[in-house]
Amino acid sequence: MSEGTSKPAGQGIRLIVSWVLVAALLGYGVIQTVITAAKLFTH
Amino acid sequence: MALLSALDRQHTIAPPGYSRWLIPPAALAVHLCIGQAYATSVYKTSLISHFGASQTAIGVIFSIAIVMLGLSAAVGGTWVERSGPRKAMFVSACFWAAGFLVGALGIATKQLWLVYLGYGVIGGIGLGIGYISPVSTLIKWFPDRPGLATGMAIMGFGGGAMVASPLSRQLLSFYDPNYDPAVSSSVASGSALVSLFVTLGVGYFLIMMFGVFNVRVPQEGWKPEGWDPASVAAKPLVTTASVSAANAIKTPTFWFLWVVLFCNVTAGIGILEQASPMIQDFFRENGTSTVTVAAAAGFVGLLSLFNMGGRFLWSTTSDIIGRKPIYMLYLGLGMVLYATLAAVGNAATALFVLLAGVILSFYGGGFATIPAYLRDIFGTYQVGAIHGRLLTAWSAAGVAGPLIINGFLDAQGKPGTLTADAYRPALFTMVGVLAIGFIANLLVRAVPEKYHEPVKPADPVLAGAGAEGSKDV
Repeated sequence: MSEGTSKPAGQGIRLIVSWVLVAALLGYGVIQTVITAAKLFTH
Repeated sequence: MALLSALDRQHTIAPPGYSRWLIPPAALAVHLCIGQAYATSVYKTSLISHFGASQTAIGVIFSIAIVMLGLSAAVGGTWVERSGPRKAMFVSACFWAAGFLVGALGIATKQLWLVYLGYGVIGGIGLGIGYISPVSTLIKWFPDRPGLATGMAIMGFGGGAMVASPLSRQLLSFYDPNYDPAVSSSVASGSALVSLFVTLGVGYFLIMMFGVFNVRVPQEGWKPEGWDPASVAAKPLVTTASVSAANAIKTPTFWFLWVVLFCNVTAGIGILEQASPMIQDFFRENGTSTVTVAAAAGFVGLLSLFNMGGRFLWSTTSDIIGRKPIYMLYLGLGMVLYATLAAVGNAATALFVLLAGVILSFYGGGFATIPAYLRDIFGTYQVGAIHGRLLTAWSAAGVAGPLIINGFLDAQGKPGTLTADAYRPALFTMVGVLAIGFIANLLVRAVPEKYHEPVKPADPVLAGAGAEGSKDV
């Protein structure tokens, strides 16, 4: 048994929603941290 | 009861064609939430003011949570393995959210012991169960790239603090307009803290449910398309056998790996614990530091990025170069970097930042690579439970690291008056700690056959690759 057999219905949307959620959370954290980290070079 | 039954492992088996790429975001949904544990400093001052308690009394909340993390991961690892990731994630979400809600009750009624019980004990159990819950499942879905898979999840733990810190500041400002996060002496009101804890508890529960909903275990015998299980046996120090958690802890190799993780985390905590005052002290001239408080905060933020990035980058790299060599890099090059930091770290700010950043990336990488290392040595059979037991090294390092660094610094003088010279004994001690870890890593060997579980002929990984176990380097 391996990948490549018929895919469960709605899996594509589920994949997109899943990755968008975690990317949004991580992205928010990274951007906020980069803003903070920038103070190392501006202060 | 039907709900609990739906959480069981046998009801979590993926249907044919289920994408394995749904599993990393499910794991990340949990780790991004529990990673909040490293953002407790954001509201520490407000809690001190609200309870009229000492720094130590409030700091204990975090310590209890980390100790409970290690204990619950060690004790609950076998249950997590048996019950499956969905039930484990659900239980973790319940404990983590309940921890915040009981903590909120403690803040509202000004009973600090309730915060200890809530966030510390109950939340800490959620931390431990949540940390290990997706690891074994990820390794089973990604037998070809276990380092990449666990690196993604454990990167989420590092990222969780990066999300929670600014989010908590913004929420506190929202709930208490008089609170200014830009002013270090500003404290939020008790009601704002209660609202923050309730918001985080409910919000994290919902996000973790997303992981509960999506996580699946692969069907027996599933393998990625085009992947040859025999390729596992061809790599050095990678087993095709199965070792139970009970047997794993009887092997010297488990304890060598415990020492490896302990040393790597102890050394990393040495910098993390003191990051902000350390950069100011390293560049102090005539009693005044050339690095401002704001710049030091920026340095801490930058270290967070290195810590998180290292978890993904180095763990993924370990899939290519192997687990033992990557730990030789973390520990061996770590020794050189620590020694350089101690000797000439005060020569230039850029050099100091670069050295500390790479050291912290190795710290994160050590956390993220260890599940894959355990998979290589002990097989996938009970890797989650074995990982849980190994995490007691984290709890021990959480005590040892700060003790070493603070013990040396206390003997050197008062905070705010120290210079780079004051840090040298502590940093060179960390070089020694890393050397011990380096030797322990060299001693890691394949597990003797007497500890292997009986071979199941139906398992294509074992059947395809033979049952001779692993090959040592």
